[in-house]
Amino acid sequence: MIEDCSIEILLVEDNPNDIELELRAFKKNNLGNKVLVVRDGAEAIDYLFGTGIYADRKNYIQPKVILLDLKLPKIDGLEVLRIIRSDEKTKMIPVVVLTSSNEEKDLIESYQLGVNSYITKPIEFDQFVQVTANLGYYWILLNKLPFKPIR
Amino acid sequence: MQTTFQTIEDWLGIEEAKEEYRALLNILEDFEEEKIKFQQIQKAILNLLDDMIEERIKSEQTKQALMNILEDIETERQKIEKSKVLLELANKELEAFSYSVSHDLQAPLRAINGFAQAVVEDYSDKLDEEGQRYIKLIQKNSRFMGQLIQDLLAFSRLGRQQIGTTEIDMERLAKDVFEELKGEASNRVIEFKLGSLPKAWCDPTMAHQIFVNLLSNALKFTGHREKAVIEIGYLQKENEGYYYIKDNGAGFDMKYVDKLFGVFQRLHTYEEFEGTGIGLALVKRIVTKHGGRIWAEGNINEGACFYFTLSRGEK
Repeated sequence: MIEDCSIEILLVEDNPNDIELELRAFKKNNLGNKVLVVRDGAEAIDYLFGTGIYADRKNYIQPKVILLDLKLPKIDGLEVLRIIRSDEKTKMIPVVVLTSSNEEKDLIESYQLGVNSYITKPIEFDQFVQVTANLGYYWILLNKLPFKPIR
Repeated sequence: MQTTFQTIEDWLGIEEAKEEYRALLNILEDFEEEKIKFQQIQKAILNLLDDMIEERIKSEQTKQALMNILEDIETERQKIEKSKVLLELANKELEAFSYSVSHDLQAPLRAINGFAQAVVEDYSDKLDEEGQRYIKLIQKNSRFMGQLIQDLLAFSRLGRQQIGTTEIDMERLAKDVFEELKGEASNRVIEFKLGSLPKAWCDPTMAHQIFVNLLSNALKFTGHREKAVIEIGYLQKENEGYYYIKDNGAGFDMKYVDKLFGVFQRLHTYEEFEGTGIGLALVKRIVTKHGGRIWAEGNINEGACFYFTLSRGEK
């Protein structure tokens, strides 16, 4: 179990290839050690609320940004977003949807649920690295948060 | 009757009564005649009534027959309604299917492209020229497949999209789109002729898409010409008016004109002209959605002309 204060990005992603490529892209932007990967919606909820396999953790910081895939096992991305936004403890954490879906329906629903940003995963790896760099730069360095990251 | 006579005898004298009787008898005789006449009339009326009843029965029967026909029509209508619902359902399922297929196809593609890139970055020195060329081919093809999927998604999305029509200044739109696309071909000699185009009722995004696809095709297929000539105009023939876009490009064989608007149908090799073969299928879908039609004429090496109609004046 990872338990340190360096986690700034929570990556919610189930596809192992995408995870490896995304981590590679983060590493290229020197963000590799700030990412924690959870493999489905339920694990994301457990991490954020300190339940289930994360129940033993007392104090840990909330991420500065959650990168959320939409198509996830157990609890899908939109449902995760709904839960995050409806709880006082998590409602202010920035959430960026990172998905293959370009569908208007997904876009509208995500924004209706209060997503902060919506990015489609590019197929080209170079572009993907660029997107990751932009995300890291913006959400980790530039963006100011209204809350202290300690839960 | 009896009571009446007695009353009259009591009332008048006998002689007077006799006179009165006679008169009364006369009246009664007349009355009898009238009665017969009346009975005849009554009979006639009864006959008429009989006839009328017959007519009524007939009309009742006709009504029943009509009701039956109406019922049949209603049954047919319900059947049609039912198959319409089923058709819509099947259509929705198909759209959902193509959406999720296209969607899920992208993930492995990202992996293929990404890991090929990783090989290029991390192991370039271990690969000879041929090995590097293969990797480049892998990437080029995964990129192309990505484009195919994107196009397929766009095509499927179009099927589900609601159209919001508004009045479009087609002439201005054609000009804007040409300016937009000309930038990518700035080193070429292009003569662009724009006729006077009437306004049309169309979804703005889709109208834009029509011109983007048709004009970029015209630009693409005139790529081998020293001077490209592209013309957009409008013709009115009988009751129908149509927009057209004509070029002096590579053209096509009329033998294959039916294939022109099919999804992923191409009439040229990739080496000659690139593209996924979705553009015209998209345009056709848009035009059909707007109640219009599209057709084309062309000859090999003598250019092509695309015609389309859009309903005008109505929403």
